[in-house]
Amino acid sequence: MTPFELAEPTSLKEAIKLLDPDDPTIRPVGGGTALMLMMKAGVFKPVKLISLRRIENSYSTIAATGDGLRIGAMTTLAALERSADVKKAAPLITRTLKTLSNIRVRNVATVGGALAHGDPHMDLPPVLMALGATLTVMGPKGERKLAVEDLFAGYYETVLDKDELIAEAHVPAHGTKKAAYMKVTTGSADDWPALGVAVVLEGDAGGIKSARIVASAATDKATRLKSAEAALIGGKVDDTLLAKVGDAAADEAEYIADVRGSISYKRELMRVYVRRAVRAALEGAK
Amino acid sequence: MATTTQDAAKVGAQVGRSVQRLESREKVTGRAEYTHTMRLPNMLHAKMFRSTVAHGRIKSIDTSAAKKVPGVLHVITIDDVMKVIPNPYYGPAFHDQPILAHEKVRFVGEPVAVVLAADPHVAEEAAQLITAEYEELPPVFDEVDALTSKVYVHDELKPAGTFADLKHLKDAKNTNMALDYRLRKGDVDKAFAGAAHVFEHEFKTQKVLHLSFEPHATIADYRDTGVTLYTASQGPSFVRTEIARLLGWPENKVRIKVPFLGSGYGSKLYIKLEALALALSMIARRPVKVALTFEEMFYQITKHPCTFRIKSGLDKDGRIVARKCEVFWNGGAYADIGPRVTQKSGLTATGPYEIDNVSIDSYALYTNVTPAGALRGFGVPQLVWAYEGHTDMIARALKMDPVAFRRKNLLREGRPHATGTILKDAATEKVLDKLVERMNWSQPFDNGSGTVKRGRGLGIAIKAVITPTTSVAIVNVSGDGSVTLYCGTSDMGQGSDTAMAQMVGEVLNIPTESVRVTPRDTDVTPYDMGTLGSRSLFHMGHAVQRAAEHARDQLKALAREVGEPENSNTPIRELFVKRYGMQAGNVIGTGVFKPDYVPPAPGTGLSDNVTAFWMISGAGAEVEVDTETGHVKVTRLVNVLDIGKAINPQVVESQISGAASMQIGFTMFEKMHLDGGQVTNASLADYKIPGFHDIPPMENITVDTYQSNGPFGAKGVGEVATFCVSPAIANAIDDAVGVRLMELPLNPETVFRAIRAKAGQPLGDE
Ligand SMILES: Cc1cc2nc3c(=O)[nH]c(=O)nc-3n(C[C@H](O)[C@H](O)[C@H](O)COP(=O)(O)OP(=O)(O)OC[C@H]3O[C@@H](n4cnc5c(N)ncnc54)[C@H](O)[C@@H]3O)c2cc1C
Repeated sequence: MTPFELAEPTSLKEAIKLLDPDDPTIRPVGGGTALMLMMKAGVFKPVKLISLRRIENSYSTIAATGDGLRIGAMTTLAALERSADVKKAAPLITRTLKTLSNIRVRNVATVGGALAHGDPHMDLPPVLMALGATLTVMGPKGERKLAVEDLFAGYYETVLDKDELIAEAHVPAHGTKKAAYMKVTTGSADDWPALGVAVVLEGDAGGIKSARIVASAATDKATRLKSAEAALIGGKVDDTLLAKVGDAAADEAEYIADVRGSISYKRELMRVYVRRAVRAALEGAK
Repeated sequence: MATTTQDAAKVGAQVGRSVQRLESREKVTGRAEYTHTMRLPNMLHAKMFRSTVAHGRIKSIDTSAAKKVPGVLHVITIDDVMKVIPNPYYGPAFHDQPILAHEKVRFVGEPVAVVLAADPHVAEEAAQLITAEYEELPPVFDEVDALTSKVYVHDELKPAGTFADLKHLKDAKNTNMALDYRLRKGDVDKAFAGAAHVFEHEFKTQKVLHLSFEPHATIADYRDTGVTLYTASQGPSFVRTEIARLLGWPENKVRIKVPFLGSGYGSKLYIKLEALALALSMIARRPVKVALTFEEMFYQITKHPCTFRIKSGLDKDGRIVARKCEVFWNGGAYADIGPRVTQKSGLTATGPYEIDNVSIDSYALYTNVTPAGALRGFGVPQLVWAYEGHTDMIARALKMDPVAFRRKNLLREGRPHATGTILKDAATEKVLDKLVERMNWSQPFDNGSGTVKRGRGLGIAIKAVITPTTSVAIVNVSGDGSVTLYCGTSDMGQGSDTAMAQMVGEVLNIPTESVRVTPRDTDVTPYDMGTLGSRSLFHMGHAVQRAAEHARDQLKALAREVGEPENSNTPIRELFVKRYGMQAGNVIGTGVFKPDYVPPAPGTGLSDNVTAFWMISGAGAEVEVDTETGHVKVTRLVNVLDIGKAINPQVVESQISGAASMQIGFTMFEKMHLDGGQVTNASLADYKIPGFHDIPPMENITVDTYQSNGPFGAKGVGEVATFCVSPAIANAIDDAVGVRLMELPLNPETVFRAIRAKAGQPLGDE
């Protein structure tokens, strides 16, 4: 790792001012767990990092709102994991975090970093996307709302401008919806996923009224599988229907090959795990 | 805390006690010293610029931009090194490795130039500004190709002549073969011709990393009067010899200090960064630290990938009458200890079976990848992977129970091993019996239904300890009666300091906890071959026992001399006071151990005393295979071992579970992915080792044995539990889903592809 300058502004506004829309060597840093990997590998050599560690405390807090949760972007994944409010409103998040990386990483990694990195292998983005979460994004021109679904532009790419910051996430409560996330690893148990599948459903085994199915890791970005969703809606959920849903997902997704698996293999994982995730959601995943 | 340990510290019966590790308090409170965190005043840091091509002639190296970086003191290439060390080649078996790339580069990641700066980040930044031009040469990567390839990694081979057992190596040209070990017994061709069944299979293992928790690190402090190296080494004595040779100095001007190691597993054996650190300190005339990052370890040393062609002939009753083994070891660009791995493991390639007609060829081969060396098992896990898979496949083909087939062919106590050495203190039968009992093998097994299938499998293995090797120890009793042990065994987490102290305590009848074991320092600790191949407890243990007995005998003489009655319990301090008129003097006990050995006869490889002791282990696995995805869950792992008498049962237990866990990683998913010689997953983000969730429920059992020529009946345990894990799991997968995997790792995609291929629906290559 080579030397760089570190700024520690005390407000989000100030942090935005320190960013430069045209200079990729100036970057915000949350927990630094993703950036450091790139810096150690020499893929990213920053001139200046803008740490968000000292910005207003409110961006590190979680609050229950009438219809869900407001989560500050600087909230650590460990705080999210342990929050009673999160467990109550969106237990899928709590369950997901248990197998996300390891406690050392979760203690410092932030919600904003997990989203803004645009890394398709992360577990939180597909879950937030399936839950229909939205973001408050702040930039020099003020704030805008952005659905997590619209955040990702490609492999390690987001639609954020270089001088925009994620300020907070808003997660609707599960309510009567049923949800599951399945992380499929092909290396060690705490490896990054080869495939992540998040499913949020309304209805029951007699018939699904609405569905959001999101795949990640095997794909170049977290992606909603709309033909699989369509295949699921309406009919009685049995083996035949689930097989159709799995096949639709397998055909629809676009895959990337890497050390965690070939394209052909990931397609088969998709076929199986979309099915399993729907069933897990209906059966009430623990 | 201190009082409870004292309470536990009973006098007598030190051997066999689960003494808490002597250094554990220092380690968990962060006080223990490691080379990686050590700093010397005025010290410089080195950062390397590494080759990006697998094989090429160096046309030019441009260091100009690096030199301009503020804070950079030196940018060094081999030309600078040769001004201080004219012949800059080192290595244990061959003097084939240049301190920095010389004329050629031979693997991606080979160090080509080094930047020195007081600030390691400055050095790193500057190293990234170095460029080199190469005339690329065709590379050779595969070990089987390397045998016949016209691409030669080295123009000429230069044997080092260090080891008694490698004295026969000769200079050679136009070959990639560093060593060809042969064993010939009986008449294999004739036996195959008369065999009722012949089976031939080829097994492969992948390239994996030791991944010691503390990366390699060395600090050299060179003065005209002498040089001191602080280094994370498993073999300080060898480092001293090699550094003295490079300098043309007597060994007494070279001092090697080794604090605790954050593990080694064979990666820190012989000589690694020490030669480079020495050269850099000579040039800078300041202490220089060379410390690798985790990522750089992928370019230092790895385990040998291996291709093993194994062929067996059987008579109509299922007795193996002939076995032919051809083993190709992918040694990478520099021989390191590969030739010794090739020979020492090669001799057990036929496994723990009694076979009258045997032919073994074991080849150490140079290739254009990161060098390979010893890794927890010294080559034996690669062999067992093949011969225990082969054994199961034969049993299946003959419709014999795999246990009954093994029993029929088992090499038993008192019978001759393929080398001609009679098997002694090698509990093959007991191990197999215990394993079968614990696995409830005679009971029917539920193979599962639906999409999850269950299976069970086992394996049994033999290893010969590397022989001959020497250990020397000193036990010093001070005037106050306190006792210090000087021994060169590197405690890298295996608990050797504690075990050695237990042996001293046993002989001198004092609590283990009162014995101090000095940190390794070649100025004071005597010679030892190295902490390798499960040899230390046996060899150094003997030396320690002898040194303690020598001290005890002198104390007895001292007592007689000062007029104490036989067996009086006068404190030792009072003996010294009586003898010297005050608290003064020492008693120094010394012990040396080198086992008897008969070198393998040239041509046949036969010897009637090829090893100081045998290691025997077995493993059994039960698995669940998800047939829809290929995921394998090991639901039970039983390890059964013959380790002689346990000096410290708790340390034995952790060695067994540690070794088996490590092998779980090598079995299930660890793999260095290579593309054109470039490691594509050279970081911990993409190269995963097992975490707690990957460790199956394990049962570790040692059978009741006593090593008759061992210190207190003991022998080595560090590697033994690695041997059978891989084939036991592959055999269990075959039992579950009827597919046979011939190459490690057994990752889900590999298993899934095999399942689909068997069903006649092979998965596409996309
Ligand atoms: C060993 C290891 C294993 C891991 N395993 C997993 C795993 O199994 N599953 C998983 O999901 N993840 C895993 N991770 C990834 C981890 O979840 C991410 O690294 C982490 O979420 C990133 O958060 P951070 O705050 O550290 O991001 P940083 O490294 O600080 O930043 C990441 C990116 O986001 C930008 N950024 C940060 N905050 C903001 C903001 N508020 N607004 C706009 N941009 C911002 C930065 O500029 C940078 O580009 C693993 C990481 C490690 C190191």
